[in-house]
Amino acid sequence: MNAGQLAINRLRERGPVDRPTIDRFVARHGSPIIEGERATFLFRGEVDQAFVRHRVVGLPDPLEMRRFPDSDLWAATTLLPEGSRVEYQIEVRRGDHYERFNDPLNARLAHSPMGSSSVCAAVGYQVPDWVAHDPEARPGEILEESVPSAALRRDQPVKIYLPARFATTLRYPLVIVHDGEDYLNFAAMKTILDNLIHRLDVEPLVVAFVPPGDRLKEYPDHAPHARFLARELVPLLTSRLPLVDAPESRALLGSSFGGVASLSTAVRYPGFFGSLLLQSASLVFTDIGFEHGGGPYFDPVVKFVNRYRARPTRPVGRIYMTCGVYEPLITPNRSMVPVFRGAGMTVNYAEARDGHNWENWRDRLGPGLSWLFPGPQKFVYE
Amino acid sequence: MTTILLGPQRFTTTVTPALRSLDVDGPVAVINPGWEERESDDGELGALLDGRSRNLRLHERLVAVLAEDERFAAAALALRDRQDELRAFYGIRLRCAMDAVALVQHRSSLHGVRGAAVDAAIDAVRDVDSWYAAQLKELYRELESAAPAEESESISRHREQVADELRECSAVVLPGGHVGSLVRALRMFGVSVPAQLPVIAWSAGAMALTERVVLFHDFAPHEASSPEVYDRGLGRLPGLAVFPHAKRRLRLDDAEAMQVLARRFPDLQLVLLDGGTFLRFEDEDGGLPEGTRVVTSEGRVAQVGS
Repeated sequence: MNAGQLAINRLRERGPVDRPTIDRFVARHGSPIIEGERATFLFRGEVDQAFVRHRVVGLPDPLEMRRFPDSDLWAATTLLPEGSRVEYQIEVRRGDHYERFNDPLNARLAHSPMGSSSVCAAVGYQVPDWVAHDPEARPGEILEESVPSAALRRDQPVKIYLPARFATTLRYPLVIVHDGEDYLNFAAMKTILDNLIHRLDVEPLVVAFVPPGDRLKEYPDHAPHARFLARELVPLLTSRLPLVDAPESRALLGSSFGGVASLSTAVRYPGFFGSLLLQSASLVFTDIGFEHGGGPYFDPVVKFVNRYRARPTRPVGRIYMTCGVYEPLITPNRSMVPVFRGAGMTVNYAEARDGHNWENWRDRLGPGLSWLFPGPQKFVYE
Repeated sequence: MTTILLGPQRFTTTVTPALRSLDVDGPVAVINPGWEERESDDGELGALLDGRSRNLRLHERLVAVLAEDERFAAAALALRDRQDELRAFYGIRLRCAMDAVALVQHRSSLHGVRGAAVDAAIDAVRDVDSWYAAQLKELYRELESAAPAEESESISRHREQVADELRECSAVVLPGGHVGSLVRALRMFGVSVPAQLPVIAWSAGAMALTERVVLFHDFAPHEASSPEVYDRGLGRLPGLAVFPHAKRRLRLDDAEAMQVLARRFPDLQLVLLDGGTFLRFEDEDGGLPEGTRVVTSEGRVAQVGS
């Protein structure tokens, strides 16, 4: 679409506009205005400056908004390719005071452990239909356990998902999810499991949702964490539940630092897990020196990834990897794909026009789980 | 021997006229363990069968046997685990063999070698299929040896009851569902439908009537996987493999893939069953009814008689 045809430009070309005209414009279009591959963000307020704040690699951040002359309307237009989904906030300056908040003109929000953000969805983006509650999908059950861990020196809470129609005469694969509470709360993972299993897209699974203790310490290549999963949690679950006791039927899942925890656990116990589902894994590395720019929390990550890249191993057979193209981790993730493949693993790598956030990870769960544990569609002919 | 194969019944329901066309009185046996725990939820089907249905409750019986006969249950569960593992190994071998077919099909051939290479690659796929079938047969032999069905009081009792019920029926209906569960139940209870008893079947039920049950789904949400041999069926329709929901589940417009499928099973007619299909077989050697849609050896979809 030609920029000259954008609604905001048509308004601008009319010259000075009065308040009722702006009121009608905002009421009609809301914010952001999506027109082809352009997104126009709006803000109204008596401020000295207004910005769109986002974390999209490749776009200026902050994205400064321009004020309409003699009005309280601010606007900024940016490119937003088809299928994109971006989380953002509005930042304003009054004198020396800055304030950041969700877009008051946009009701669409995404939630995370850090709070909420406004969502801008481009043309072509759709929430997968297996995300919403399906009343026809029989619900699985969540059991809450506390597992005494010598490795972690604490009682570790774990939530265990048992699929609908769970039966002790059957055998189930096991998926262990890092940041388990967050996957349940911010990625709708129980609903998604119920739906995908109901649709026969995914094999009925047992899923252990494990929240971290000290996440920044335990997730980047931490021996006690790996020992807890491989030597305490899996044996305990295998003794109590009808699990397939084979590496091919055990997977680790995690996003961001949870992705590092998944990979490093598998590397510490090669051959024990069969597959990994890594989402925007923080696989930061350096090719020379140690200046990675990620701050001290990334030091153990970079040490681990550098060591792995120097001598790649094959800890699992299959990896399903995803990353958002708008997040800084896209380059490390892309770089790791040939390394994993070169080590002999089968890698299914998918990118999304999205960022480092829970809804991106939510939207990728369907393809990932159905690739790792395909459902019995081949058996059912109604 | 009358057998009627129908297309899927969800949107185009033809089972009622099919039953009436048989011109038989008396109860109609329904064999639907492929519905698993919904097996007894058969009211709608019963109405379509003019209220004459008699459900043989094979799934319910199977669950009862596993609860009643510990020895058989242990052997059956061990068989299932081994069959799952066998199928996993078969899947790996099959994927590699099918990849080889695709690779030799698409390599340039300046000196006429490709044809022989494709033939050999398809032979290799057939070898993999045969290996799986032989291994499966061996698993069943081991099960029979570890826990002979005739030594199980529970199975024997249910077998007798099923045979008695079948004798009292004038027709048999096999609907769709989970074909694995259906075949497993038929095998456990030694169900054999007498030739003189007419049968109406669709979807998974139709697959279970053939000699070889071939699983397929080209449009599954995960990566496409090749059709695979699963198990032996009742063999009432020898020389056929049936493909329900063919338009929705097979890449029928991919002539190359369809040709590979046809060449992989040269001894079978590949019959497509879509909504509205109505095929009446009067005897097992009578050939395909007019109008049957099949995949030809060239990979095209053709209609018998046209």
